[in-house]
Amino acid sequence: MGQKTPQIYSVELNGAKDMKQRDKGDDKDKYRGLRSTCLELRKNDHKERVTKEIDLDDHKLSNKELENKYHTNIVTGLSSTQAAELLARDGPNALSPPQETPEIIKFLKQMVGGFSILLWVGAILCWIAYGIQFSNDKSSSLDNVYLGTVLALVVILTGIFAYYQEAKSTNIMASFSKMIPQQALVIRDSEKKIIPAEQLVVGDIVEIKGGDQIPADIRLLFAQGCKVDNSSLTGESEPQPRSCEFTHDNPLETKNIGFYSTTCLEGTATGMVINTGDRTIIGHIASLASGVGNEKTPIATEIEHFVHIVAGVAISIGVLFFIIAVSMKYRVLDSIIFLIGIIVANVPEGLLATVTVTLSLTAKRMAKKNCLVKNLEAVETLGSTSIICSDKTGTLTQNRMTVAHLWFDNQIFMADTSEDHFKQTFDQSSGTWASLSKIITLCNRAEFRPGQERVPIMKRVVVGDASETALLKFSEVVLGDVMEIRKRNHKVAEIPFNSTNKFQLSIHKTDDPTDKRFLMVMKGAPEKVLEKCSTIMVNGQEQPLDQSTAEAFYTAYMELGGLGERVLGFCHLYLPADEFPETYSFDVDAMNFPMSNLCFVGLLSMIDPPRSTVPDAITKCRSAGIKVIMVTGDHPITAKAIAKSVGIISANSETVEDIAKRLNIAVEQVNKQDAKAVVVTGMELKDMSEDQLDEVLSSYPEIVFARTSPQQKLIIVEGCQRQDAVVAVTGDGVNDSPALKKADIGIAMGIAGSDAAKNAADMVLLDDNFASIVTGVEEGRLIFDNLKKTIAYTLTKNIAELCPFLIYIIVGVPLPLGTITILFIDLGTDIVPSIALAYEKAESDIMNRKPRHKKKDRLVNKPLAVYSYLHIGLMQSLGAFLVYFTVYAQEGFRPSTLINLRVEWEKDFVNNLEDSYGQEWTRYQRKYLEWTGYTAFFIGIMIQQIADLIIRKTRKNSIFQQGLFRNKVIWVGIASQIIIALILSYGLGSITALNFTMLRPQYWFVAVPHAILIWVYDEVRKLFIRLYPGSWWDKNMYY
Amino acid sequence: MRRQLRSRRAPVFPHSYRYRLDDQDEVNQNYLADEEEEAEEEARVMVVHNLEEEEEEDEVKEEEEKNEEEGQGQPTSNTWWRKLQIMNEYLWDPEKRMSLARTGLILVIYFFFYASLAAVITLCMYTLFLTIGPYMPTFTERVKPPGVMIRPFAHSLNFNFNVSEPDTWQHYVISLNGFLQGYNDSLQEEMNIDCPPGQYFIQDGNEDEDKKACQFKRSFLKNCSGLEDPTFGYSTGQPCILLKMNRIVGFRPELGDPVKVFCKVQRGDENDIRSINYYPESASFDLRYYPYYGKMTHVNYTSPLVAMHFTDVVKNQAVPVQCQLKGKGIINDVINDHFVGRIIFTLNIET
Repeated sequence: MGQKTPQIYSVELNGAKDMKQRDKGDDKDKYRGLRSTCLELRKNDHKERVTKEIDLDDHKLSNKELENKYHTNIVTGLSSTQAAELLARDGPNALSPPQETPEIIKFLKQMVGGFSILLWVGAILCWIAYGIQFSNDKSSSLDNVYLGTVLALVVILTGIFAYYQEAKSTNIMASFSKMIPQQALVIRDSEKKIIPAEQLVVGDIVEIKGGDQIPADIRLLFAQGCKVDNSSLTGESEPQPRSCEFTHDNPLETKNIGFYSTTCLEGTATGMVINTGDRTIIGHIASLASGVGNEKTPIATEIEHFVHIVAGVAISIGVLFFIIAVSMKYRVLDSIIFLIGIIVANVPEGLLATVTVTLSLTAKRMAKKNCLVKNLEAVETLGSTSIICSDKTGTLTQNRMTVAHLWFDNQIFMADTSEDHFKQTFDQSSGTWASLSKIITLCNRAEFRPGQERVPIMKRVVVGDASETALLKFSEVVLGDVMEIRKRNHKVAEIPFNSTNKFQLSIHKTDDPTDKRFLMVMKGAPEKVLEKCSTIMVNGQEQPLDQSTAEAFYTAYMELGGLGERVLGFCHLYLPADEFPETYSFDVDAMNFPMSNLCFVGLLSMIDPPRSTVPDAITKCRSAGIKVIMVTGDHPITAKAIAKSVGIISANSETVEDIAKRLNIAVEQVNKQDAKAVVVTGMELKDMSEDQLDEVLSSYPEIVFARTSPQQKLIIVEGCQRQDAVVAVTGDGVNDSPALKKADIGIAMGIAGSDAAKNAADMVLLDDNFASIVTGVEEGRLIFDNLKKTIAYTLTKNIAELCPFLIYIIVGVPLPLGTITILFIDLGTDIVPSIALAYEKAESDIMNRKPRHKKKDRLVNKPLAVYSYLHIGLMQSLGAFLVYFTVYAQEGFRPSTLINLRVEWEKDFVNNLEDSYGQEWTRYQRKYLEWTGYTAFFIGIMIQQIADLIIRKTRKNSIFQQGLFRNKVIWVGIASQIIIALILSYGLGSITALNFTMLRPQYWFVAVPHAILIWVYDEVRKLFIRLYPGSWWDKNMYY
Repeated sequence: MRRQLRSRRAPVFPHSYRYRLDDQDEVNQNYLADEEEEAEEEARVMVVHNLEEEEEEDEVKEEEEKNEEEGQGQPTSNTWWRKLQIMNEYLWDPEKRMSLARTGLILVIYFFFYASLAAVITLCMYTLFLTIGPYMPTFTERVKPPGVMIRPFAHSLNFNFNVSEPDTWQHYVISLNGFLQGYNDSLQEEMNIDCPPGQYFIQDGNEDEDKKACQFKRSFLKNCSGLEDPTFGYSTGQPCILLKMNRIVGFRPELGDPVKVFCKVQRGDENDIRSINYYPESASFDLRYYPYYGKMTHVNYTSPLVAMHFTDVVKNQAVPVQCQLKGKGIINDVINDHFVGRIIFTLNIET
């Protein structure tokens, strides 16, 4: 039905055609085919696409073939000269930064964007007018040339200002992305050298060890216990083993290739560089991201909308009065000059600069709260966000495994998982705990990096994998100096953890000098550990492991596992001293020690715990109407557990599976309407059609995406955007960058984030903390409200600036307000006050209302325009006219004389124009009086703008509720208005070019009653809005 | 699917609701709609629903066309018509479902609003008029010091004429004659009084009393009165030019010295003008013509004149002449204003 109508409407006024189209019924059928193809294309795994593009086959080649291909030698490496040649050919080994718009284009954009075009037109009309005048009369005054020049200057200056602001905020980012140059250990000329990684070339032989970042794409030639973290590339959170064997056709899967910018976690390896810089896989993904179009920010759309409204008003009034003027027999040249005046009066010249300043002020404020905004407009985007797709690891969680629960003596104990206070409150008196703690301490290869004695335990850097780190820190906190304990219990043998054994074992001498027995300690997957046990320790006593204790074990295991925690079992055995004397030599390969009948001691479970600020932040998001969706590569169970603990899945909502389990029925039988939450895995997502995804996104308020590949994030983001939502996406990996770019606002992690992610994002969270997003949202919403106030404030005086022209044309009074004077209001007295409104506090709890709908809640809506233009604006013009008439009347020209005086008034050769008292005026005396009139009108507007400023502090509450003095900057603004006006009138009153004169002091007070009237009127408006919410008044008068 | 989508978005109005969402402002308000409006809405929904079903049976293309038709209720629809309609709705009926009464209400409210604003401004203007007297202006500093004008004056300060061609100067004569009608001796004698020269003609009494005016007779101008020489000397190449000081209420030449007129060559050879006769011979504005009491009470006030008779000017060449007022309290060198206390004109007399 009539879908065409809204579409056209949207083209005309919203400029957001495609968004609407998507909701509309009919077109859907037409486009469905087309779009599903797109979807399939998109669903093609990025991995494959990347692979095809780069066509890498080095992993299949033998070492010899590689040497030939890259003209290198595995032992001696490249020669320096070869390397230099290759470097010159291929360029440095670094990702080229994303294509920047050339500065000159950015600058020119500022020059022609927004109102600038209108002002340029005004300026050019001025010059044309002068040209015509000049061709008629060589001695014509240069006024129009001046005006044109001033207009051009205004455009250029505001353009330069906006450009400077932009550049400044970009610079913050530039300094941020400067990283410490990476080093690489390379073999060249048969020597090991450390060179900056940027100088690597293909064919270089590099050595890497645990902790290093891989400096380029390398083909491994030798590897020992090497594991890499590919999470930033593929999203796999588990460490990936690397070796030199070719294991898979796909270069991303094969084990003998290490990728640029991934980290080597442990082990050592030697490899040959096969790709550098942009030709690396990461480079390809990064360039993919730049292919995803940047969405226009909501505030940019809003400002464009606003510019359209104002420009529309300006042009239509201008043209209307041009026609009126021409039909009133004004000369065309004069009419053109009127047109210029009307344009200048209508365009709030200073506003866009003010908006920029306001945004950058907020950006600064947000930077203090750890949200670094790259793109100024993103400040507001965060405020209108309605869906946040958040990462789990690092953003919602602390990104470190922490011991969460212990199970011993048939009891589950809870450990403290908060970030800083690490007070463990569980019962530590039991003998079982003594044994368990010993196992935890000894059966652990992780170590603190030396030299961190003064660093709090939880912040120390540890060498070792995540679980071991967690255990190390846990034991350090509970027991004290772990390294010392380990020293006293000398380790004699060890089997490290591996995935086939699924356990780790070590044998120690005990610290008890009387006890000559060896202690064998073991930890590992609980079921594997239990298999090897025949006894269990309860209250410090060994007991046989019978059916009931085993059952208790399984219950605890399942419970902890159900919490999404990683569970480890611990057991030990004192090796009998007679069989294993002190000199016994343990052989870990031959396993010449018992591997059964051990004594089970307990379970420990670990989780990456949520940050303590997150649940609160999520609650805030929820009350702010923002849907938080978790997107993680982790297991559904863990994801769900974390989601539950942070409140993404609220306490009383259930998934379909939960309901099925509770009612004990099959999943299919559950009424899907009952479930509020859903956990969608990557596999399920892969099989979903676009419509099904839409269905999921819109019907469940609480959604967790688990086991998703980072590429699927893009699909999720697009799905959310189809719901007309403003989507914020957090991400840290390179592979997140397309999604970050696609999102309305991409938020990269400052600590964990990769450069590519930071480049693609609009905002960087310096502390990686989700709670910072919430403060960002708050700031963003506040700035939207305050921008409304600023714009309302600025638009109001447009009418007061416009009316003089209209009255001048229609009634023929001497011009009440000159064009230059208008510029002094717009760019002088009004600038500081409109910025001051940005400091206004929120009227009510802005975090308790829904996010604005980006197509319905406009920045400049009808009530705002109507109220500013037709109510306050009109009152203001009346007040200003009163001052004007007062000045003229007191000088001799009563209002009745002024009517239709224009023609005589402006004749240069009439030097004896009679006023109401019979006095005769020369042309210059009249001109001077006219300027006094300008000044008077200017002062009139300025005085009433003070009242306007005060009433704009709130939109709904009374000023007295808001507090007249809470925002001190407002008073700075008022002071600036008055001071600028004083300077213009009394300081610069003698400079004739500025058209200001010294005004008698009493005229400053003529408009004061009007100012008070404005205030009272607005208070009444607000009172009715508060008294009758939802009423006709509320709808039409609340902007 | 399409219906599902819709219903999800607009649960209150399940079908075909969205097509009317083209007015953004309305959207926010829909949910607060009155009951009667809802009823109305339902009625529409019914109709719309039927139409929709019809459509669904049609081909896609046809459906589209039909949509346009039904949506507009116009058989021949084009974008312009639709735009016009939207415009129309936007201008006259921004709240779609607003009944006529409400439109009326808005008008009434705006009427009262503007009426009270008008009342306020009227009150203010009334107060303003209370503060300024009708007889004397409150301030005169902008119109002081007095400006100067000359007669004849016809849009130009260049006197170009050829003595032998009356057509070139006839209009000056006419202009002067016209201007001097008010100075005719008979008229002056009838209307004004002959007050003693050399002193201010101060008339005390209430502001609103009519003031008497002093005579300034045409005959005072002697050779330049046009009485003896009806061509004001233009026919002989000795033009008369009258100089008048702008009227200023309450203006009195300071210290009792009358303001004098003095003319000379502005630029160039001083001898280009060899002699000027001034009438009255004192070349001054007598004090008895001051002060001026404003046109309300000083109805017959006659501005005094000084006539300059350029009896010997170089011919066939443009001679710039500057005539200045001289006297205490007179300023004649304002840079921007060439008519305050002085006047510059050129004489180009051809023979």
